[in-house]
Amino acid sequence: MEQVIANGLFTGAQYALIALGLTLIFGLMNVLNFAHGQMFVLGALFAYTIFNHIVELGWFLGMTPWLANILTFMVALVATLVFLAFVGALFERFLFRTVIKRSSRDESTMLLAAATAFLLDALLPMKHVFGELSHSLPALIEGSFSIEQPWFSDTPFYMPYSKVFIGGLALFLIAGFMAFMQYTKPGRAMRALAQDKIAAQLMGVHVDRFTMLGFALGAMLAGGIGALIVTITNIGPTAGSSFSIKAFIMVMIGGAGVVGGAIAGGFVLGMMESIVPTLLAPYDLANLSDLIIFAALMIFLSFRPQGLMGKPWG
Amino acid sequence: MSEILQVKSITKKFGGLTAVNGVSFGVKEKEILSVIGPNGAGKSTLFKLISSFMKPSDGEVLFNGKRISNQAPHIVARKGVVRTFQETTIFKNMTVKQTVIVAHHLRSKANLWGYFVSTPNARNDEKHFGDSADEILEFLGLSSMANEQASNLPHGHLRALGIAMGLATNPKILLLDEPFAGMNHDETMKAVKMVRDLRKRGLTVLLVEHDMHAVMTISDRIVVLNFGTKIAEGTPEQIQKNPAVIEAYLGHEDKEIGL
Amino acid sequence: MKVKPHTESGLKTWVGLAALVLAMGLFYFGIPALIAQNPEVYSRYYTTLSGIALLSMASAGVWLTFYIGRINIGQGVFCLFGAYISGILVVNYGMNFWYSAIWAGVICSLLSFLIGLPILRLRGVYFAMVTLISTQVATLVVQNLAITKQGRSFALPPPAALTLPGTDIVVIPAFTLEGAAVGFYFAAITLMILTFLGLYRLVNSRIGQLCKSLQQNEELASSLGVNIVWLRLVAYAISCFVGGVAGAFYGAQQANLNVSLFTVQDSVNFLLYCFMGGLNYVVGPLIGTITLRLGWDQLSPTGEYQLAIYALALIILMFILPNGLMSLVEEGKKWFIRPNHRQKLQSMSAQKPVKTVAKSAAKKRPKTAAKTAPKSNKGRK
Repeated sequence: MEQVIANGLFTGAQYALIALGLTLIFGLMNVLNFAHGQMFVLGALFAYTIFNHIVELGWFLGMTPWLANILTFMVALVATLVFLAFVGALFERFLFRTVIKRSSRDESTMLLAAATAFLLDALLPMKHVFGELSHSLPALIEGSFSIEQPWFSDTPFYMPYSKVFIGGLALFLIAGFMAFMQYTKPGRAMRALAQDKIAAQLMGVHVDRFTMLGFALGAMLAGGIGALIVTITNIGPTAGSSFSIKAFIMVMIGGAGVVGGAIAGGFVLGMMESIVPTLLAPYDLANLSDLIIFAALMIFLSFRPQGLMGKPWG
Repeated sequence: MSEILQVKSITKKFGGLTAVNGVSFGVKEKEILSVIGPNGAGKSTLFKLISSFMKPSDGEVLFNGKRISNQAPHIVARKGVVRTFQETTIFKNMTVKQTVIVAHHLRSKANLWGYFVSTPNARNDEKHFGDSADEILEFLGLSSMANEQASNLPHGHLRALGIAMGLATNPKILLLDEPFAGMNHDETMKAVKMVRDLRKRGLTVLLVEHDMHAVMTISDRIVVLNFGTKIAEGTPEQIQKNPAVIEAYLGHEDKEIGL
Repeated sequence: MKVKPHTESGLKTWVGLAALVLAMGLFYFGIPALIAQNPEVYSRYYTTLSGIALLSMASAGVWLTFYIGRINIGQGVFCLFGAYISGILVVNYGMNFWYSAIWAGVICSLLSFLIGLPILRLRGVYFAMVTLISTQVATLVVQNLAITKQGRSFALPPPAALTLPGTDIVVIPAFTLEGAAVGFYFAAITLMILTFLGLYRLVNSRIGQLCKSLQQNEELASSLGVNIVWLRLVAYAISCFVGGVAGAFYGAQQANLNVSLFTVQDSVNFLLYCFMGGLNYVVGPLIGTITLRLGWDQLSPTGEYQLAIYALALIILMFILPNGLMSLVEEGKKWFIRPNHRQKLQSMSAQKPVKTVAKSAAKKRPKTAAKTAPKSNKGRK
């Protein structure tokens, strides 16, 4: 039982980060960014490449392997965050902004978002980019934390140290993002924009600048979480769209465009993915769990479209 | 004259807030009855309750003695209780005439399939709707704008378009939502005449309004709301003399203007 | 602003009829004649084009849901179900394919009633997301059922002959393995033409106006007595019927069903076809599907760069024509309109600012003017 909950929390923290970026972009620009999962994959593979290029440097300097690993990873993570923020800003500045201005319908951005998703899907597996193979980093820290006899179950509880480290980093990023949105001037400006664009503009918020910042932040969050997850599981260059769908679902569970909702949605989906298969396993139905989760969410959304925390009709 | 619409101790609560509290009154056939009250008195809520765009927490609305609350808005409209919206609620990308033709929906004899294969009934309908739309536009002075996009119409004409849509449904009773809001004196007088002409067509009119002056000239009877409760009901003369109304409404209004 | 002189509608009818005759001539005679020039090289186009015809049908369904103001990313559900329903009826129950395709459409539209009742209340992004999820659900359903063979290879025989009920008179001959591609081509373009004619009629009849009123303001429509719930359901059911039939034919043409026949990606694609064609024209989805699918097909020699070039082309198209290919027609009209109409247009647009000035001058009372000004701004946006 503890194992299931711990796994759920771990996945939830990762998912929450993915959903945060997506909901931020949606809230600010009303864009359903189909390329969000691709941004995530880009971050993962970028971090993987950087890590592999510089990890030997640490060994060369004679550090202990785990310290070298962690320091290298932190460097790779920061590089990924910067790179993805840059990519996001470029996307907003040169693609979305132009199309939004020229098109007569808001929904046209969906087409653009889908096209950028195709583009990344095409570029990432190319020979000179990342290649077609899936990659993952070796465990950053060896060993694991375990309890032989947990309180509520018979099987031992087990959690690798690297998962604890990554989970902690994810929580740290969430907290950092929340603090940024809550207490800094750009954060406040973006929240104002998300609530009412015209009013924010009248209050002197520079719409273009903060929209770009928001898109960059959203891409950065997606890339950052990609970098974190690539240390745990294999990520392939074309895995993007399945993550996009999951991200959409999380955003909808919590309520579109609501920051708190995205976090809640991430944790709900993470928990469900961990708990439902466990509950179904005794009946030999574990392979139905995805179906049950998705169908349940569809029913939930049909009757409560604003999600857990959203306003009706967002 | 019998009462065709009866509002019976209707109440609407939003969480802890009671927007409309036990309001009752009746509307007689072919009369013009106005509901007035200061801002936040619950007029809009009452309006939505009568047109069944909102479900009451308690009480009911009867039309010709039959309950219409809790029914879908289109069914209430089918029975002859039709509301208009304020001017921003229009079909933006249709022309004025198209809008009024669409609004003839309740008069259609053919069904959807009939329109698809264009049965004689359907063709009849379409011709009849076109003629009737022309007549309504003429009546409301919109003829010259028949082919204009609805979103391009100026203010006063938008309101007339709203009334045109209401008329097209061939209602028994037309509910007007603040028909004089934002109009200057001349425009208001024109609109007042228009509402009077509606009655000449045999309609009963119930209107919710903020503009005291217009209401006094036009109404047969007036119901006054304050804080969700009915504080007075009577002819314009009675209302003007009613101390509770002066206290609640005019006093408030004066303060608002700064007199 | 559109100015429609009375003669234009007559002209429009003639232009439309001429276009229809031309298109039919091209599809029924022109293309087969072209392919006959060099059958070894070109005969693969039969398969490509029938695929396009069927996908454009499904897109037409998506377009219809757009017309009632809903962004539908769930057409893949009904295409996939349609393909499997028809396949199961043919293989497991020995039904004639032609009947099974109709049943596929009927069952899909019944299903759409069940799904539509709750989800059609949703608008905007909410409807889009729920339908997107529904495609994922459909994929998982197919993967988990024994009757669909877990979404793995499900082989289909070529369609048998269709006879008049109770007689031996053959209406449609049985498809042979070699002739199936040509047979499906003619079936597909016939279906496509019927679909688009039906859609055109629907949109240009009173139903179309009612749908348009739904698209623009559901509350107002319901206040006029329109049963919005029913109308939405009917439109959605038609959309899903078309999707189901298209799916059934698409599956039969492939002769082999599997779960990746229609995925989330395809649902998104249908949406793209509609957008790319243009949402204001009935033929939009047709034009969009032909352009994008044919373009995609022509890019196949580029191998691993195919998707990248396609995506870049999409992005560039978005920049040049953000409102779809059919917006070219609108542009064209502006230039080819006869001079006196052009003058009329100009004089009308010149009048507009005057009107607004008069209007704001009319608001003499400052209090009411201040109160209503932001409201009217909002409405005009």
